[in-house]
Amino acid sequence: MQDSRQIVLDRIRSSLKTSVLPMARASIPPREAAPSSDYAAMSQSFQRDMETVGAKIHRPANDFAAVDLVVDLIQELGGNEILAWDDAELPLAGLPYALHKAGIRRADHRIPNDDIGRKQKLAALGELRVGLTGASAGLADTGSLAMISSPTRPRLASLLPMTHIALLPINRLYPTMAAFFAAHPVVTQDASNLVFISGPSRTADIEMTLTVGVHGPKYIHVVLCP
Amino acid sequence: MSNVTFYDRVEDALNNEQLKVALTRTTSKLGGLRLNALASLPDADGVRDRARLIRAHTISKLADYLEQFAANVEKMGGHVHFADDAADANRIVLELAKQYDIKTVVKGKSMVSEEMHLNHEFEEMGVTVWESDLGERIVQEAGEMPSHIIAPAIHYTREQVGDLLHDKLKIPLSHDPSVIVGHVREKLRQEFLVADMGITGVNFGVAETGTIALVENEGNGRLTSTAPRVHVALMGIERIVPTLDDLSVMLQVLARSATGQKLSVYTNLLTGPRRKSQTTGEADGPDALHVVIVDNGRSKVLGTELAEILYCIRCGACLNACPVYQQIGGHAYGSVYPGPVGAVLTPGLRGIGPWAELPHASSLCGACKEVCPVRIDIPRMLLKLREEGHEKGLAPAWVKMGLPMYRFVATKPALFKFAIKASGFGARMLAKMQGNGGWLNKLPPPLSGWTEHRDFPPFAAKSFSEQFKNRK
Repeated sequence: MQDSRQIVLDRIRSSLKTSVLPMARASIPPREAAPSSDYAAMSQSFQRDMETVGAKIHRPANDFAAVDLVVDLIQELGGNEILAWDDAELPLAGLPYALHKAGIRRADHRIPNDDIGRKQKLAALGELRVGLTGASAGLADTGSLAMISSPTRPRLASLLPMTHIALLPINRLYPTMAAFFAAHPVVTQDASNLVFISGPSRTADIEMTLTVGVHGPKYIHVVLCP
Repeated sequence: MSNVTFYDRVEDALNNEQLKVALTRTTSKLGGLRLNALASLPDADGVRDRARLIRAHTISKLADYLEQFAANVEKMGGHVHFADDAADANRIVLELAKQYDIKTVVKGKSMVSEEMHLNHEFEEMGVTVWESDLGERIVQEAGEMPSHIIAPAIHYTREQVGDLLHDKLKIPLSHDPSVIVGHVREKLRQEFLVADMGITGVNFGVAETGTIALVENEGNGRLTSTAPRVHVALMGIERIVPTLDDLSVMLQVLARSATGQKLSVYTNLLTGPRRKSQTTGEADGPDALHVVIVDNGRSKVLGTELAEILYCIRCGACLNACPVYQQIGGHAYGSVYPGPVGAVLTPGLRGIGPWAELPHASSLCGACKEVCPVRIDIPRMLLKLREEGHEKGLAPAWVKMGLPMYRFVATKPALFKFAIKASGFGARMLAKMQGNGGWLNKLPPPLSGWTEHRDFPPFAAKSFSEQFKNRK
């Protein structure tokens, strides 16, 4: 398709000759790296911010307790079929077997390439009540979960269901987003989607009244895995 | 634009009691939230300084960064289109709709699409467009324009919203926001899952990676950019940052300044469409991504003394802080972008001709500059635009008459001295008569032009030159 690329770029270059641009420097000076922080402090900060926005944080004592907790949560919510990341993406080794034993099925989450198949699959996944994911990282200073898409990590698991359960190993916490990017410089090249989630879906569009559960999950449970 | 003048719209807004309540509630709440959120940032001033440096540097090398961004989007499998103006952008998007055989479109929030009047264009073509941001959907159903950059429907009460959506979306009637939101979720979910194309705005484009950053709270932006098979992202040419690290700095001030959050609920980074190259390909996401980079007057602004307005990151903090916006709301401005930023951007993008009054919709108090996360000197540019309007003979009548009179008096020292004494005395007398706490709400012509739309402050008991003399 013919477009106006050259016209626009040429006009920008010509305008830049007469621009008045306060503070414009030839380069942006480097900045100090974020101060490092220990996992105890980071998990405290993460928990405080997540709870402030209405997410529930769980700190099971060990992996066994964590597995039980997740299975109980799903059963309480009546999720006999859930939208989940693949086994290898869930950072609790015993969980897949425990889910199987509890009769909790995992929906096939692959969206087909054809239009009709796509819409049918979306409609089916839209019925599921619980989404279960790991987490690629956590940000301590904002209380955010990072989710990176892949063949085994569907974006929709943290988006479509009313409840999202996320398993975050404490050693995946970073003090800031900048520290996370510094540790994962090619993160955006490997995946079409990286999303930072900071609490339940919400709006304040009606009279500035905070209301949760608009289009994404209304309830978020973060299981901090030791 | 209709024949309704700016002053008519202001008059209407000032007489709208309901609007007054809604505006007070919203702007004061957002202003307070912003202060708390900035306080949670260690060295907020330092971060704002850095954010300003990043914006200034990026704009000064905009063409290079845009080329880098476009090349990286394409490298990651996306398509890039440049649009000269709104008509060009509409042509591109409508052609894409034809090419992909699109019947239905779900839209996230996009101010650029408001500039384009895109929904109208789609309707003409017979394509159904659903706005998915709750506030945008409310104004769409009401047949209106957004009245605030980040809170489009703040001029509505909960009762009005409940009645409107009951009527238009056929959802059960309720005036409870959480009940309304529950019904809207169910209704709009069906739209997300069947829409053929998703259209969103772009908060930032990252040049080094070809990534689009989209921030939002509802999840509608994520659904719009994930469920439909085609994603079209509309961005202004100036919405670029060089690196992911720079992005992280901008994100530290954006949500805090906009809604008082440390980070929006969803900070969504999109790089290319759903990956297909791996053995199985990604589980979900759009099959095609098109980024439309829209100029529509911006590159013209770039060549002027108004170029600094392109640093803007659309947080809306200047609207909430502006005493004029707090009184008249967004619709009175008559432009896509209201408030202080709009009073500079609109005449800049569209030419001062029909917009000469907007730069006067300010008391030059500087609150906008004070709250701006990238410290844009809006008052400086408002003055520049007033000057331009005056030179082109477009200034309001009271300015046109007042300035020559002032020049006549001010260039004659004796007359000026007398005038100061006389006006000080006269003003104090008038203020006493009007009993308005010392403020004047009515002055004789031609000064009545001023007091028709604003009060005039009381004069000091002694003039500056008198006080100066006494000091010696």
